Amino acid sequence: MTFSTGITGIQNMAPELPVQASEDLLSTPMFNLIHSFGVDLHHAESYIGKTTRMSRFERLSTEGGQLDGSGIDPASEVPVRTDIDATMEIYAKSIVTNEQVVLWENSKTLTKFTALLGQWLREKEDLLMRDLFSSSVSYINATGGLNGDQPSNISLNDVNNIENILLGNDARSMLTNLEATLKFATAGVRDAFIALANTNLSADLQKVQGVLLKSAYPTQEGIRPEEYCSISRFRFFVSSKAARTPGISLKGNTVYTIPMYGLEAAAKVEQNNYTAVVGYRPPWVVSSVAQNSQLYAKFAIARAITNQNWISGLNVTTFQPS
Amino acid sequence: MAFTIVSQGTFTQPATAVNQVIPLPSGVDYFKTYNYTQMATTQTTGRNVIGEWFGGGISAVNDGISWVKANSANTLTASTFATLGSTGFTYVTVAPSPQAALTGTTITAANPAVASVTNTYSNGDQVIIYNAVGMEQISGMTFTISSVSGSAFTLLGLNASGFSAGATSFLVRKVTSSPVGLITPVAPSYLYVTAVTQAAQAQVTTSQQHGLVVGQKIEFTIPSSFGMVQLINFNQPGSKPPIVVSIVDTYNFTINVNTTNYTAFAFPASSGSPTTQLFATLAPAGQSATFNPITNVTTGYNFTTVPFRSNIFIPYMLVPSGAQNPGGSASDVIVWQAYKMETGTINAPVPS
Repeated sequence: MTFSTGITGIQNMAPELPVQASEDLLSTPMFNLIHSFGVDLHHAESYIGKTTRMSRFERLSTEGGQLDGSGIDPASEVPVRTDIDATMEIYAKSIVTNEQVVLWENSKTLTKFTALLGQWLREKEDLLMRDLFSSSVSYINATGGLNGDQPSNISLNDVNNIENILLGNDARSMLTNLEATLKFATAGVRDAFIALANTNLSADLQKVQGVLLKSAYPTQEGIRPEEYCSISRFRFFVSSKAARTPGISLKGNTVYTIPMYGLEAAAKVEQNNYTAVVGYRPPWVVSSVAQNSQLYAKFAIARAITNQNWISGLNVTTFQPS
Repeated sequence: MAFTIVSQGTFTQPATAVNQVIPLPSGVDYFKTYNYTQMATTQTTGRNVIGEWFGGGISAVNDGISWVKANSANTLTASTFATLGSTGFTYVTVAPSPQAALTGTTITAANPAVASVTNTYSNGDQVIIYNAVGMEQISGMTFTISSVSGSAFTLLGLNASGFSAGATSFLVRKVTSSPVGLITPVAPSYLYVTAVTQAAQAQVTTSQQHGLVVGQKIEFTIPSSFGMVQLINFNQPGSKPPIVVSIVDTYNFTINVNTTNYTAFAFPASSGSPTTQLFATLAPAGQSATFNPITNVTTGYNFTTVPFRSNIFIPYMLVPSGAQNPGGSASDVIVWQAYKMETGTINAPVPS
């Protein structure tokens, strides 16, 4: 069904909304939400404060410990703990709608805008996790590529270097248990680490020695659309919004950051009852003449790198300058 | 309520004026500053007393309208900050990203290194230096700059006296003017390591102001090209991350690791670029706490200081300091106001 718009001039044209409330409403583009893959989900209870503390006890020393039969106890050891703190933060977005939009130009605006706000919730959350990875992790410049830049384009040697770091730090791969199987499928490379890359790197990923593209996985069932390939023991997920910094390589090209990690490397903390709050403020609340209504969405999140030993990554450029 | 003041406030510049960051949760369509101190006086060289900024792309980055008093008089003239050769407002809505590149001439192989480049930067700015010909081992690193003049700045976090030569040209991009000395969206952040001493408690130097506190744990990533690979976590006894034990100054701190017999830390030669592995970095790894199960007492660090958090509130208005800038100079009292259109923008106002 179409509606008459009643336009009389450019000053009162309809807002940029479809004038049909029908199946002609097209989808809103959404980027791949990859930055919570493999991240531990924690929950903060209400009334326990703004900071969530996650703690890890360091393993005890394996030196000594033998009893000699004399009855003398071995020296006791005071446990050492590492605390990881994360501050809860709240993010919000709102849309104000004039009654004239609903009255004359459009219908179902609340439904459409609610969907938009829902999409914003998850996109914003993804970008916040991306910022955590790009800010608080050490990255190594790739040097094995042949583009003559610093960092270079990605190569198998660079990927293997990161694998060596993770294995040397006793990092655990995450695609081994049932839960991971349900989320990612384990057809490509079982017992793997996760890597997150920008979609601009897809051409370079295809050229890395030993790459196994997703289409070549022996089983396709359950594979995430965000997954692109596997290289060595890493499964690569891509997003157009993955981290990059323009113009800072040796040659002035864009530098892309690829977080590469195993189990329990990072955490996302959700505030109980505040992970996705969507609300409506009616016109008689928003406007003194009851003409503007408001939709809003908000959520609370805290984030942390919970084990630097089990996360590393690469700075890379593209083979063709970007 | 189509257009209204959404926020306002005041600040007084300290003895050494600094750039001011003003968080604006509601966003802003129009921003205005008044220099109350300079309103009440005249100066030999006229000062900025009112600054205005318009949203919607009307005011460019580092710009806006500047109302300036004439020399030794109260007469006001208006122009843009750019036209006057001064620095105006910057409204920041996304995480800091590098600005346009400047081409520099030299970086000295000295302690500290000094970079020569015509610039409008300020003390405390964060810059990325790259394509440093003759000093490629620092190309891509981020630095906090100080002693800034219009033609040079100092890299307090870089002792380049051991380098074989200085740089004969380089490119530099300003990343942020964050007064907290950190450039990343999330804190605590990774940092570039420029020196580690061989000592019972090694002293670590970073290229930026580190912002660390005693009790924080850190993980080092040190490519073999930098020497001291023994600091890498899996080479450490028990794989336990080093702990910050004292803060020497904003660029230096000591750790609980005896590096006396470690390989010396040193930058690789410039000639190794681009295949030499870079950089030596450190990243936050939590805080050290010791739990005594007999006394049930936990000791360690200042429990209130170091959670992972957003580093900089976004959006914000950057109000630069300076006699001709909206942030004013030493001891100036500045009043600011932020205005917002409830619906529409300055370019596309909604008829009311």
